[in-house]
Amino acid sequence: MSASASEPAPVSEPPQPLPDLDTEGFWQATARGELALCRCHDCHLWVQPPHERCPSCAGATSFQPVSGIGRVFSYIVVRHPAVSGFEHELPMVVAIVELEEQVGLRLSARILGPLEEVEIGSRVVAELVAVPGGDFRAPVFRLT
Amino acid sequence: MARTGCAITGIGRTAFTRRSGRTTLAMAAEACRTAVADAGLTMADVDGMIAFQAGDSVGPLSVSRAIGIPELAWNIDVLGGGNVVANIVATAGAAIDAGLCRAVLVYRSLNGRSGYRFGTSTARQQVGGEMQFDAPHGYLVPPQWIAMWARRHQHEYGSTCDDLGQIAITQRAHAVPNEHAINRTPLTLDEYRNGRWINEPFRIYDCAYEIDGAVAVLVVGPELAEACAVSPAWLVGSADSQSGDGWTQWDDPTSMYSRHAAPRLWNRTGLSAADMDVACMYDCFTYTVMATVEDFGFCAKGGVGEYFSSGRATYGGEVVVNPHGGLLSEGYIHGLNHYFEAALQLQGRAGERQVPDARRALVTAGAGPYGGATVLSADRP
Repeated sequence: MSASASEPAPVSEPPQPLPDLDTEGFWQATARGELALCRCHDCHLWVQPPHERCPSCAGATSFQPVSGIGRVFSYIVVRHPAVSGFEHELPMVVAIVELEEQVGLRLSARILGPLEEVEIGSRVVAELVAVPGGDFRAPVFRLT
Repeated sequence: MARTGCAITGIGRTAFTRRSGRTTLAMAAEACRTAVADAGLTMADVDGMIAFQAGDSVGPLSVSRAIGIPELAWNIDVLGGGNVVANIVATAGAAIDAGLCRAVLVYRSLNGRSGYRFGTSTARQQVGGEMQFDAPHGYLVPPQWIAMWARRHQHEYGSTCDDLGQIAITQRAHAVPNEHAINRTPLTLDEYRNGRWINEPFRIYDCAYEIDGAVAVLVVGPELAEACAVSPAWLVGSADSQSGDGWTQWDDPTSMYSRHAAPRLWNRTGLSAADMDVACMYDCFTYTVMATVEDFGFCAKGGVGEYFSSGRATYGGEVVVNPHGGLLSEGYIHGLNHYFEAALQLQGRAGERQVPDARRALVTAGAGPYGGATVLSADRP
């Protein structure tokens, strides 16, 4: 669908996260420049998405820093603007990154840099960037 | 439901279009009326309704009123997508078995093309829950999630985009004689390869064809089934598997919900893939067919491309997969059109695309961590 020249381009911003009591610690951490994930105090399991209590042992949890280092578990090259806010970013790579802290501890995130260099197994490191249209910062990854 | 004495008899649907110009209520009413008339019953025989939607359609009470049913003994409006279809068909049968009602209209009505589109998310939005972590990356719609899973399958099993293409091509060939299908133009591998990218490794031809329309199937108990004007498609068994692990945390994207639901279904029914004449495999995307065809045991992991290209999944082969063209080519009525097609085939009413001597059909519904499946039979179990 193409907009006619007389119409101003619609405001297009990416969807914004809507934190709740279980997740707000993640966003508070990114706001202060830290990537932190939910972890059980008792059995030390990393828990993503976060929960008030550990799904495994029901222990108390809190947000603790992670290295931000991981590997690409899988990825796509997004070429169709199905979600608003990325029209001018395409093509872009979105990956599922498995963090080194724990097998199966994964985040979906954009991979910045040359898209043709991304492969499954690529080593990546997180950095925090501002999400346009709001006050949130979110992790993205770069190849290392 | 492991076993039930129930069957699908009457079936109904509207035209499938890109722009219906109608309300979901009007379309649901047409599909439901048609299904009841097809069964040779009247509205006085129908006392149950179950439907599913994603805030994009109308519930049973609106529809029952629209078709002249003054009250229902039993009804449920389920929030969900294709993943709930096997469950709601099974639940309709279970409600009848439990004596809660006698005849249940199961319907889905959506303006999936001209109204709310599942593959798109363009309104400015705040995203809560587990998907809030995906929101800042725009990773929010099924053609992204399932492409992500397909890539992992390619990595682990060496499957290719051409393998996915063989699924799209076979199903399109099946849609060619289907007058109800939204896309009946034959598809070649070259055309598939030249299709525009949506999210690599998915091209446009890997994606369901979003349309407007409605489908209804009537589920009845054994006595009513034998009295209907059309032969029953018996509900032999059903199995579900739904996981909260979601699209990012699910451990192994080279298989889907079906890795749990398939053994559950075959154990309950004592049947296997080899017993099926028809397989209506939920195909929101080609990869959903690939993963579930493997999980249900039609062919070995990594062998789906060859399975389709060698003709094993079409007429003259081992089983006809999606004889109507599926969601890819007939159109995306969220999987309920698969139940319509399975009943039509088992009733011997599929015309030019009739699968010869179709006695048993597998219908699957859902993708990724969420789904279920039903075995239907022309023979009373």
